[in-house]
Amino acid sequence: MTKITINGREVDADPAQPLIRACHDHGADVPMYCYHPGLSPVGSCRICQVEVQQGDMPPRVVVACRTPVVEGMVVDTEAERAHETRRECLEFLLKNHPLDCPICDKAGECDLQDYAFAEGQGKGRSAEPRRKLEKRKSLGDVIVLDQERCILCSRCTRFMEEVPRTPQLTVSDLGSRSVIETFMDRPLTGNYQGNLADICPVGALTLKEFRFQARVWNLRKTPSTCAECSRGCAITVETLRGGEVKRFRPRPDLEVNQYWMCDTGRFALDRANLPARLPAATLRGQSGLEEADVEDAVDVLADMVGAHRASAVVLVSPFATQEEAAAVQRLAAELGAAPAFVSPPPNDLKDDVLHTGDPCPNRRGLTGLGFEALTAEDALARLADAELAVLAGERVVELVGAEGLAAVRASLRLVVLDAVPVDVPALDVALGVPTHVEKSGTWVNVDGVRRRLSLAVPPPVGVAPLEQTVERMLARLQAAEVRG
Amino acid sequence: MSAHPTYMLDRCEVADSHTLKVYRENGGYEALEKVLKTPLSPEDVIAVLKDSGLRGRGGAGFPTGLKWSFMPDVAKDDRPRYLAVNADESEPGTCKDRVLLREDPHGLIEGILIACYAMRAEAAYVYVRGEYRLPYERVAAAIDEARAAGLVGENVMGTDFSCQIWMHKGAGAYICGEETGLMESLEGKRGHPRPKPPFPAGYGLWGNPTTVNNVETIQNVPFIVSRGAEWFRSMGTEKSTGNFLCGISGHVERPGVYELPFGLSARSILEEVAGGVWKGRELKAFFPGGSSTGVLPAGSIDVAMDHDSVKGAGSMFGTGAMIFMDETTCVTRIAEVTLRFYEHESCGQCSQCREGTQWLHQIFRRIERGQGTMDDVDMLSTLASGMAPGKTICALSDAAAIPTHSVVKHFRDELEEHVRLGRCPLAGTSQPVGAGA
Ligand SMILES: Cc1cc2nc3c(=O)[nH]c(=O)nc-3n(C[C@H](O)[C@H](O)[C@H](O)COP(=O)(O)O)c2cc1C
Ligand code: SF4
Ligand code: SF4
Ligand code: FES
Repeated sequence: MTKITINGREVDADPAQPLIRACHDHGADVPMYCYHPGLSPVGSCRICQVEVQQGDMPPRVVVACRTPVVEGMVVDTEAERAHETRRECLEFLLKNHPLDCPICDKAGECDLQDYAFAEGQGKGRSAEPRRKLEKRKSLGDVIVLDQERCILCSRCTRFMEEVPRTPQLTVSDLGSRSVIETFMDRPLTGNYQGNLADICPVGALTLKEFRFQARVWNLRKTPSTCAECSRGCAITVETLRGGEVKRFRPRPDLEVNQYWMCDTGRFALDRANLPARLPAATLRGQSGLEEADVEDAVDVLADMVGAHRASAVVLVSPFATQEEAAAVQRLAAELGAAPAFVSPPPNDLKDDVLHTGDPCPNRRGLTGLGFEALTAEDALARLADAELAVLAGERVVELVGAEGLAAVRASLRLVVLDAVPVDVPALDVALGVPTHVEKSGTWVNVDGVRRRLSLAVPPPVGVAPLEQTVERMLARLQAAEVRG
Repeated sequence: MSAHPTYMLDRCEVADSHTLKVYRENGGYEALEKVLKTPLSPEDVIAVLKDSGLRGRGGAGFPTGLKWSFMPDVAKDDRPRYLAVNADESEPGTCKDRVLLREDPHGLIEGILIACYAMRAEAAYVYVRGEYRLPYERVAAAIDEARAAGLVGENVMGTDFSCQIWMHKGAGAYICGEETGLMESLEGKRGHPRPKPPFPAGYGLWGNPTTVNNVETIQNVPFIVSRGAEWFRSMGTEKSTGNFLCGISGHVERPGVYELPFGLSARSILEEVAGGVWKGRELKAFFPGGSSTGVLPAGSIDVAMDHDSVKGAGSMFGTGAMIFMDETTCVTRIAEVTLRFYEHESCGQCSQCREGTQWLHQIFRRIERGQGTMDDVDMLSTLASGMAPGKTICALSDAAAIPTHSVVKHFRDELEEHVRLGRCPLAGTSQPVGAGA
């Protein structure tokens, strides 16, 4: 660590990082457009000017993102000269900017808007017509480009070169005629395009999916973990009032996903906004499955389980958290069953960036607890010989296969805890569980890193956390034993 | 014409000066032989260069010997090292390197070999402006000849000194003459200048130690090595030694490239060398060293043409390309044309330069057309102050700001006259000059 002084306070700075990082780490607000901590620094936008004094030299105004930290350096981010240089730079950046914030999806989280608000002059001095460029240029299925809003920071071109290593974007032409383009207007490809909308400091690159969907200041943001593969990227779940999930966005996590996430994870909104939900409890009655009181359902369940515990199968979904799995494990022990989880085969999304190709976000955690990984076929084969089966967790029915389950003998006593409605002949009791955005808990990723999920959306009325429901069943079973 | 010793252009006058045969007949490659056969150590060569006081002819006037000594110590740094010769010559008004490339390519090659020897560079890259077709061909042919004669390549002159020389054609961008833009372009990328530090001597071509020098700078080297530092210092002034190639253009009787010692007055250059202002007219203004230097009014015509004196007069020596404008010239129009050039040539990385060059150009254009306001005149200065000095990655932004400041400073009346009249007061008489007007 290197000792430097920032705004009068002596601090430790990481010598491997440019000065701007030390400023940000120690609470000094230095604006940045071209700099991004996950990309190589180019020092081109010139907004991050700060005053630096070293040794006997007079203070200089320098760009913080290209200045290395040097022992003893004295930094003043609020020096009038630094402010002045930043203000000038901002004025140039705004000269051709269309200022169409009212219809811009980025408004509210736009670095240009924020800094213009903090430091700008309120009134533009330019009498010249603004640059007229393409306002809605499709860059493929994911991204739409507004060339007028672009401030040519080149974050997007560097991202494409450095992260997925598919250099498909470029600055073409020169000077004030520069525009961001793809070669011959070809669409962008790859599974990481969505990140472009995050890193673009302005509203030049936006998501087609999110276009005019919400004003970002209305979104509630909850830190959580992506469910789409065993990388478990750190994300924020962004919801509108009423609970609709509008965006998944990556959160910086240097051990897991740095600053990025893949498009598969980003656009897995359908898994969070389910059209139909399994109610808290349903029981098989005269006219099929009927909604029931949870206590009654647990009673029925306990009686049934008590009578058939001899050859039970206990299976969880690969989305089960460590906390859920621990509860299920106790239930399995009570029933004398070996706990297992359904493990769908690897998909073809694996790449050398983030996606692992393994759709089980908590494989490491579950195997660590002693859960056996079963393919859908193996799981169904076990059900064929069992008298009783407890299938627990989000998407467990889908992953074992609803068709396969429909074909099991009707005499099997089948208990399902899932998030979506299910109806197969063997089913006796079905209990609703929360989805991954409706629960808190822990997953262990492919590298053994433990990360939290947190409740971003309340589960449907009456639906309790899975571990609670299982604990209730367990308590009811044990009580019956004592009485018995 | 003033009588003063010349050396650089002497050979260029001889028929077939570009061939190895004629070059050798005129003392060519004797300096290289002196270096390799005496032998002089690389440090000796650098010492002579330092002693000579030679300053770079590419525009900044940086001491050449000192620049070479910035290359890292070979004992501590064994990366390959390079020389890049800047033959991009695109500064408006500047047309001197073209003469050297075309008429004296072997002089350049000999200079390159000595420079590479002194800096222990294994190869040199000559970056030639794309439009310079004949100069390019002449240098390419000369390299072939020199290679065949054992002067370029492995074991130069039978010694264990080896040096390759490669050529590269630019594609018409001024910014590729900026030293780091040039290196990016040589690497096959867009000519976007790199932020400094790191400096080229530590991190240049492909990340290796590199020195960038102008053609004319390199061309001086063999003369200094042959004739000595003292001889070199006998020409010019104390701090600007030797002769320089003065490219004279604009409203003069005899435009052209002349070899002159530093320190002559601009007046004597105009009157004695260039034959005075054309058509018997009066001088209005002049750029002392290319369009990036501040324009000076006729009243400054007695300034001595050396680095310090021109700086003292509020401008810069630049590339020594003097552009003279007669009394009929609309300086506002000159400014418009100049800024159009910088707007066109800004690489566009830095916010101030990309937007500022365009903005300044637009304002000058409006004022020239009689659509400006008094506020515009002040805004020119404040905008130019936002662009430079040292606020951007490279000096192109400065190169646009400097002439702007100078026009506002010296020709404010004329700008305001445009605003007041709502038209160009010189309309109909103005003669376009310089930068692609
Ligand atoms: C925008 C810009 C354009 C330049 N163009 C040229 C050029 O065409 N030729 C040149 O020799 N130097 C040019 N320079 C200067 C070079 O960056 C560099 O200083 C020079 O080549 C160094 O050579 P010297 O030390 O021999 O003068 C330019 C600089 C800037 C900022
Ligand atoms: S599109 Fe966005 S990220 Fe790309 S250069 Fe423009 S402003 Fe920067
Ligand atoms: S100052 Fe201008 S030309 Fe130089 S790097 Fe910046 S934008 Fe490019
Ligand atoms: S953030 Fe430092 S120059 Fe752009």
